[in-house]
Parts: sequence; C-alpha cells; structure tokens
Amino acid sequence: MNLDTLTVYISSTLHFAVPLMLAASGELVSEAAGVLNLSLEGMMLFAAFFAIWGTSISGDPWVGLLCGISSGLIFSALQAILSVRLRANQLVVGIGLNILALGATTFLNREIFGALSRQLVPGFGLLEIPGLSSLPIIGPSLFHQYYVVYVGVALIAAIWFVLRFTAYGVECHAVGDDPRSADWAGVSVVRVRTIAILVTGAMAGVSGTLISVGDIRTFTENMTNGAGYLAIAAIIFGGWRLWPTVGACLLFGGAMALQFQFSAADSLVPTAALLMLPYVLALLSVAGLVGRQVPPSALTIPFLSSR
Amino acid sequence: MAARSSLAIASSEAATAPSVPRAAARDEVLELVGITKSFGSLTAVADVSLAVRAGEVLCLLGENGAGKSTLCNMIFGVYRPTTGLMHLVGAPYAPADPKTALEAGVGMVHQHFSVVPSMSVVDNLLLGRSRGVLKRTAFADEIEARAAEFGLKVDPWRIVKEMSVGERQRLEIVKCLMARPRLLLLDEPTAVLPPEEIGSFLDVCRRIADSGGALILVTHKLAEVAKIADRTAILRSGRIVDTVPMRGANMKSIVQDMIGRELGAADAAVGLDLAETGERVGSTARVASENPGATAFAAAATPESARSRSADALQIDALSYRDRNGALRLNEITIQVRPGEIIGVAGVEGNGQTELGLILAGIERPSSGRWFVGDHEMTDATPRQITAAGVGIVPEDRHAVGAVVDMTVADNLCLQNLKHYVRFGLVRRSAMTAAAEDLIGRYDVRGAGPQTRFASLSGGNQQKVVLARELTLDPLTVLIAAQPTRGLDVGAVETVYGHIRSACKRGAGVLLISSELDELIAVSHRIAVIYRGRIMGELPALPSNREAIGALMSGNAA
Amino acid sequence: MSSTSTFAARSGIRIPAPALVIPLVAIVASFAVGFALMDVTGSSISDAIAAFAQGAFGSPYAIGTSLNRAIALGLVGLGFILAERANLINVGGEGQIAMGGIFATAVALYGGVAGLPFGLSVLLPVLAGTLAAAAWGALAGLMKIRFGTNEVISTLLLNFIALLLVYWSVQSVHLLRQPATFAGTLPQSLSVPDSTELPLLTGDPSDPIHIGAVVAIILAIITAIVLRRSAFGLKLKAIGLNPLASRRAGIRTNLLTVLVLGLSGAFGGLAGTMMLLGNQDYLTAGFSSGYGFDGLVVGLLSRGSVLGVVAVAIFFGFLRSGGISMQIAAHVPAALVTIVQGIIVVAIAGSAILIDRTSRRA
Repeated sequence: MNLDTLTVYISSTLHFAVPLMLAASGELVSEAAGVLNLSLEGMMLFAAFFAIWGTSISGDPWVGLLCGISSGLIFSALQAILSVRLRANQLVVGIGLNILALGATTFLNREIFGALSRQLVPGFGLLEIPGLSSLPIIGPSLFHQYYVVYVGVALIAAIWFVLRFTAYGVECHAVGDDPRSADWAGVSVVRVRTIAILVTGAMAGVSGTLISVGDIRTFTENMTNGAGYLAIAAIIFGGWRLWPTVGACLLFGGAMALQFQFSAADSLVPTAALLMLPYVLALLSVAGLVGRQVPPSALTIPFLSSR
Repeated sequence: MAARSSLAIASSEAATAPSVPRAAARDEVLELVGITKSFGSLTAVADVSLAVRAGEVLCLLGENGAGKSTLCNMIFGVYRPTTGLMHLVGAPYAPADPKTALEAGVGMVHQHFSVVPSMSVVDNLLLGRSRGVLKRTAFADEIEARAAEFGLKVDPWRIVKEMSVGERQRLEIVKCLMARPRLLLLDEPTAVLPPEEIGSFLDVCRRIADSGGALILVTHKLAEVAKIADRTAILRSGRIVDTVPMRGANMKSIVQDMIGRELGAADAAVGLDLAETGERVGSTARVASENPGATAFAAAATPESARSRSADALQIDALSYRDRNGALRLNEITIQVRPGEIIGVAGVEGNGQTELGLILAGIERPSSGRWFVGDHEMTDATPRQITAAGVGIVPEDRHAVGAVVDMTVADNLCLQNLKHYVRFGLVRRSAMTAAAEDLIGRYDVRGAGPQTRFASLSGGNQQKVVLARELTLDPLTVLIAAQPTRGLDVGAVETVYGHIRSACKRGAGVLLISSELDELIAVSHRIAVIYRGRIMGELPALPSNREAIGALMSGNAA
Repeated sequence: MSSTSTFAARSGIRIPAPALVIPLVAIVASFAVGFALMDVTGSSISDAIAAFAQGAFGSPYAIGTSLNRAIALGLVGLGFILAERANLINVGGEGQIAMGGIFATAVALYGGVAGLPFGLSVLLPVLAGTLAAAAWGALAGLMKIRFGTNEVISTLLLNFIALLLVYWSVQSVHLLRQPATFAGTLPQSLSVPDSTELPLLTGDPSDPIHIGAVVAIILAIITAIVLRRSAFGLKLKAIGLNPLASRRAGIRTNLLTVLVLGLSGAFGGLAGTMMLLGNQDYLTAGFSSGYGFDGLVVGLLSRGSVLGVVAVAIFFGFLRSGGISMQIAAHVPAALVTIVQGIIVVAIAGSAILIDRTSRRA
C-alpha cells in the first residue's frame, strides 16, 4: 500500500467513523443513564432527511444542520416520553420508532423530492488548518475537514466534560447503575433520563446531517443503513466509556473503509466479513473475552419511583 | 447484644393507651400527633403521637412488623401519613419526598444502604446536592472534616463497592451529617456492626445528641436501648404502648410491653442477658435446669468424640474459599457436627458466614477442602444432591436465596420437591395445595393460605414457611440454619428454636450460624467462633464462656 | 391492583377489558393517521381500503398468504414469550430466522435430501434450519451463564452477524450463491427442489397456506400448556423471578437458561425455514425482511400470553399483506403502511401504562 492509498484510506476511515462517533457519544449518555435507544437509527435517518430538506429550502447547510438537530431532538423526545414517562418497553418503542422513521422519511422524500431525485443541496465549507493540513498522510483528512466535523468533535469533548466533571454526569451514572439510590437522594430519574435521550437526539441530528448534507448531499431511502446499530455496537465494544467508544468507532470506520480498498477480484477478505467485524468484536467484548465490559446495571429497565 | 426476655414478668405497668406528650417544650424538634398509616387494608401505624427534643436520643423499640420502619419512613418523607400531623421545630411538617425532608433538616441512616456502589464516596455525597461543575477536591476535604468532627474516619475517594459493611455504615452516617441535620433517624444501625464497633457507634450518636441534634434510634436490641436512650417509645402492632424515660426504667416491663404477653419460664431458648443493664435474669443453674439438654450434651460431648468420623452428620474439612476478586473469605474451616448435636457458629456478620452458607447450600464451590454429609462427599454437589442427602438449609437471606418471594406459599413449599407433584410433565396443583395446607397448619404459619404471595407474609411467618419446607425433608440428616432469627420478633424466635431443637431430637445434626451470641449459648451444645474466615476456637456453649467466646469473635486468640 | 385503577381512578372513566380496548383504540387511531396522510397525498382512500381488503383477505390466495406471514411472526413471538418467562429477553429473532434460512437452503440444495421418501426431503431441511437457529439462540444462553453477558445485547449483536452471514453466503459461489453463468447473475441461491418445499394444506397452489399452519397451531397449544401447567414452565417462572433461590431449590438454572434460549431460537429458525421452504424458494440477502423484528414486536406486545401472540401475529400478517396490495393495486406508497405500522407499535407500547402494568425489577 503506497502513501497515497494510505491517505485515501485514512480519509475514508474518518468519513465512516465521524458520524458514528457523534451518534455513539450521544447514545452513550443515554445508556449511561440506563436507556437503550434502539431508535438511534431512526433518529439519524430522520435527521438526515430533514437536514437535506432544510438545506434545500434555505440554500444554507447550516440551516440544514439546525433542522437536523431539531428533528433529532423531536424524534428523541418521542422516545423519552414513551420510555421514560410512560415507562413503555424501551425495546419495542425503539423498534417501532425505527419503523416509523423509515416509513416517514421514505414517504416524505417521495412526496417532496420525488422518489428518484438526486438533486443536490449545497454542502458544507471546508476548514483548513494551516500547516497541519500539509502533514503527510493524516494532514488532509484530519485538518482539512468540513467545519461541521470540527463542531462535532467539540461536542464530543463537551459530552466528555459534562459526564466527568459536572453534577449531571454524576446523576447520569447514578441513575444508570442504581436508580433506586439516586431516587432516594432526590435525583429525578425521569429528568435525568429525558435529558440524556434528548442529548442523544441532538447528537444523532448532527450525525444524520453529516451523513446526508455532509456527504452525498442528497437523501436516499434508508441511507443510514444500520449505522445506528453500529454505533450501539461501538459503545458495547468501548465498554460504555467515551474515549474507548470513539476509538471503537475509528476501528469500525477502518473496517468499513477496508472494503473499498480491495477490488472485487482480489477479495482476500470478503466484504461481509469486514462488515461483520464490528459486531463480532462487540460480541467478544461483551463476553469479556476482549476486556471486561459491564453495562450500566439498570440498562433497559424502566424505573418506577417508590415515592 | 441480643436482648430477649425469658422471664415471667410480673409487671403492674399494663399496656394502656399511649400518653400523648403534650408538653410542647421549647426545644422540641419533632412532634407527631395522631399519625396513622394504612396500606390498603393493612394498618401499619395507628394513632402514634410522640415528641423528640434537641439533644435527646429517643429509641423506638418494638418487634418486627410493629411499625418502626414505617414510622421512620414517614418522618423522612418516603411515605405520607394517612392521617395525623407532624411538626418540625414547631412548624407544620409534611415532607413530600426525602429531598424535602433533607432540606428541612431531617436525615435518615437506612437499613439498606442508599449509596450507588459503583461510584466513589465523593460522588455519592455530591449526588443530588450539587449543580454545574463539581468541585470534588474541596468537597472531599469537607467530608473528611465533617466526619472527624464526630470521630468518624472516611476515605472520600474510595469506591463504595470496595468498602466493608462497617465502612459503608459509617458512610451512611457521614452522608447524613453533611447536612447538619436537626433530627437523625437511624433504622437498626448496629445490625451489621461488629461488637467492638457498636460501642464507638453509640458514642457517635451521643456526640451528635450532645451537639444539639435529636436522634430517633430504631432497634430491637434492649442492651443498646439501655446504653444510649434518654427515652424509649415502645411500639406494638403499630401503636405506641408506652414511652419510658430510661433513668430508673424497669427492663422487664419494657420487654413485656414490647411483646405484649408473658413468656413461659421454660423459654431458655431466648435467654435474655441483661448483664449490661445491671440485672441478672437467669443464673447458669437456672438455664441448666430450664434446658437440661444444654449442659448435659456439653458434658456428653467427650465420649461421643471417640466415635469414628463417619458417624458425623456433617463434616467440614479444611474448607477454603476465595471470592471473585481473589480475596480469601474462608480459611481452612473445620467443623464436625454429630447427629443430635447443635453446633453454633458465632461471629459478627461479614466474617465468612455468608460464604460458608452459600457453599453448604451448593451455590458456591470451595476453592479447596472438602465437606461430607455422613459418608457422602458433598464438595462438588449441586443443591439438588445436597437436598437429596437430607440436608435442610435455612439460608441467611430468605428473600434472595430462601424463597421466590413473588410466588405463592404453595409454590415455595413445593418447588424443591417438584417431582412429587408432577405427572407427565404437568404440575398437579391440587396436590401442591393440599401439601401446602398441611404444612401451614403444622408450622402455624399465620396470615397466609397456599395461594398467598410469599412476600405478603411477615418475616416470622416467612421463616416458618422456609423451616416447614426444610424440616419436612425425610430423612433430615443435617440442618444448616444461617441467621435464622434475624428480623424476627420474640415470639417467632421461640418458635424457630423450638423447631430446631425438635429437629435435633429427631437425630439431625444442626449447624447454627448466628451473630446473636446469647441465642447460640442458650441453644447450642458447642460454639465455634469464626473470625475473618478462620475458626478461632471452639468452646462448650455455657454462659460462663460468654466472655471468652466474645473475645474470640473480636479476633483475639483464646 | 385492578387493571383499570390508575387511569380510572384519575379520570373517573371506566374502561372495560383495557388490555383489549386500548390496543384497539391505538390501532384505529393509527389507521386514521394513515388515511389522513393518504388524503393529503391524493391517494383515494376508498381505493386504498378496497385494495387492502383484497390483498389481506379478498381471496383464498390472499388469506393464505396473510396466514403464512402470520405463522412466521407468531412462531417468533412464541419463542420470545417462552424465554421471557424466565426473564430472558431474546431480541435475536431476525438473526435466528436468517440462520434457519441459511441451513434449510444448504441442506435442501446440497444435502442430498431431494430424493428421500417419507417427507424426509422436507423434514431434514426444516430440522437443519431449526437446529442451527437453536444453536444460535443457545449461544447467547451460553454467553450468559459463562460470562454473565446480558442476553439483550448478545442476541442483538448476533442478529447482525447472522444477517451478514446470509449476505456472505449468497455472495459467494463457494457458499450458497447460484453459479455465475453470466455477469448479471443475481446474488441468491438456486431454487430449492420442489420436493423440499413445504406441502400445501389444500394442495392447490392458489391457496398457498402450507402445513406450517398446522405445526404453528400445535406449537402454540403446546407452548400455552408448557407455560401455564408444566413443571418446566414453573421452573422458568421461578428462574425469572429469582435465579438464586431457584438454584437453591435444586433447579438447574444454567441448563434451563441455555435450553430456553435455544428453544426460543428454534422457533425463530422454524419460522425462517418455513419462510424459505414455504414462500420464497431461494435465499437472498434480505430474505428475512424484518420478520424477526416484527415477530419480536408481536412477542413484546402480547405480554406473555400465547393468545396474544396469535392475535397480534394474525393482525400483523394481514396488515402486511394488505399493505403490499395497497401499494400494488392502489399505488399507495408502501412507506405509508410502514408509517401506520410504526405508529401502531409505538401507540400500543406507549399505552401499556394505561393497562397498568408496573415494571418488573424496578
């Protein structure tokens, strides 16, 4: 593999990994608080569509980003109301919302743009960091990216900070591990989990925007194609810790990028195997064979305050 | 230590209607007027009125199910009273939740710890009490300082799940003290403390009271009441039977009030040692005459030891156990129990008894060593095989191990021998119900029928169900009972020991693991002491050996 | 606590049989939304309804197809509630269907069974698919007892792995892909021999309901008996409520955990086998087409009741058929049906609180 290929490969890796990272970081907050959002996929898809829609009617991708984030928030609010306030089963709600998102985005896409439209919307501008962007191999990918990517990375760092150093972070972990004690300490489990889910929605919104406006600049049906589940797998592989999850996303992005490195002829490694790798890794890790990973104790269990 | 009455009590203090403390003293911190709490048709607390002053320690004494915890929970805002009023320093007080209670200056040290195990002390104490960015280091200093004020030592950076039970208890107290409460509620706080720590714990309580706080201490241990209480309110069936200032109090009448009936003189099983309160209830001679078996067996122990090993009902041989983290919990435990013999295992909770109980139940495997029932080796046996060998087990934690609390009494009674009630793979419910009814009758389980949910029974009746199940094993070669009287009222304690003794008479060997030393002395023939996973020594179960046994329990070699 | 107490107490309304009425209300409301959307987009509602009815139950063919769909959904749902009894949540239906499909295809095509008598030509592929999926489910069980792995997570991940295994097997001619005769050969397997296909109940191809219906009904009855009356069911219940006390009572919790997850997987595998040998005839990448997740929804919505599984499965089966027909005959976008389905699922799930179910293990 020569230097050019390596550069392309790293670009490709980041291209897959960044939306994953954003979605995974957001979902991590929810899972830390004990909520498993299978609807992450739906949130991202919803946001991907509305980002395109927002950009197309305004001509400005940043408006599109706003629409993406808003729609992610609205969608996640549904999950929050159903799973946290109404204590509906998180898994059913997640799957139901995914079905709804798929149907809704496909439907709206047809009605508004026409099913086979490939009309492009304006994309994001690039930010070039002088000097660093000329670094060999990694320069172009890391330091010559869309503005919105840097915004996204800043958001991930913000999430890290909040989880580690603020009262909300402590409440989040408490609620996910021992909601009973948190409840007794006067923490509103409902409030903490609702906020967490909304954070997931917002981050899914950024992620979805990147997938559509930040990439091919149009919407295709089901364009997230399982990225949401992949993000969840990354969290599992990352042991429910933020930076290892980000690392997992990079790894998974790398695996996905690999499939484009091999031409059809020399398929030493079948595409399917590469696509399977993230899930296999996540499975091995949750079996404790690759590090000892323990999910938050109250994950997926609805909470009923005894008071 | 354990305090139960054994006397026929001639008391002129009848259980009358509670006297309502009407003297609204100026330093009155809490006043309850006519508090009642009902859960559906069940009245847990009825028309309770009491008051606590600043600087006072009020003990709430009563049997289990008397309503003590419910009362505390109302004061702390966990429940709301059905009727009645509360006043805190003169102002109306009706907390909607614990947070409100905390803000009003009421703290509670719970029986079941309310901290998040995976987080550090600092984070736990910050939980729900801080906003925005945390200042952990500054708060950690504050925690240490506050703890030191009351003579407590706590490491703020420790992760809670790595702490010992005693440390967690201290943490609970510090957690309350951080808010400088006016009133501190403590619910059976010494249940998990080793004897040497109980004294210092009570000192802490006294210090809190001296610094102007008011304390309500819920307990069933008379000795503690005698040591620390300024006044004692006695609860029975949800009502305050009497409120007694401790100066010059008559302990016997207090016990009478607690249980509401006279105990027969022959109930040596519940030997009340009021030595610490300055009264001697029974002399050794009396105990011996009441329970001739005790000394007789102790004396007879020698000739029996000459018998061959295979005559042992239960033989534990150099059993060791390392837990999941690699810590050595049991260190070469060796115990022998002969048929018809009761061997007590004394020790403060947390010294390996739980692990021993789990191994003997077949739920855990020892790391090394072996154990036998008669001639059969049980070291790698499954719970099924252990039961088949005639081993009855009354586990320490009847809710977690002893029963499936959400299933019916009948289910719980029959689950172990399901195959007797199964035909063609289907369960014969009528047979199960009939068997359950029979056992309920024979073991005097009250408040329940076969279809009653196990969880709705009182602690004592739950234990009777477990006993019924275990003691009807046929043949019963060994009975292993771990903390069998924990949380039970005096009457239930009697019943339990009655059953244990009858099992022993039928020829079973009994291994009785308990932290209630006085009960062990009264019931067992010999007592082995466990401390930090090792057997420190074995002595005949005589009252005269009490001090020596106590010393062994604290880790001092005999 | 009575099931109407919370809602009724607060609003003074008495709702009879809330477990039935509330889902019905949710369904009606969802359809209303669907019709509204149809109206907005200019589709004719009457056409749509006619097409739906026609496609769902308008002809023996339609009914048969709908029931076949219901069978697959119902089997996955039965498997789910069986494991749920022991408090094991198996979300791996989709992957278990996939495994069933792979192995049924493999044995049907290459197992040399096509010529076997006595129905073995059908039985063996079915068995292969079922056992493979059982192993897939049992794998999650083994992970649970050996590593303490949460089965929601493991079965979820196993889903995707299995789906990718299907993809892999139809991509590679070394596996199950049909020989590449020209550049445009589709990535799918050969059609399975006729003798390995599930016999039809009526023998008439215009009524495509296959013997899977009989099998499914029998299994539903057996499952109901097992859950309510059998010792196995009682043990599962005990394990679900308190694994430690169950072990103490002599129940082999480890064995039963693996066993019930294996059984749960087997149901999924059977569904996949039936989908393949009954309807589709050849394996393609998307052959499971969401039936596993839908079956999971069936299981979750039925709240542990076999009758519930049957009812919801039939409902979703007909819904799917009607939806496809609406798309073809009345040109209603398929996405619309998806929307309605999503709303129904979410609405019923969300109304669980009205049916006053307190969460377990809270």
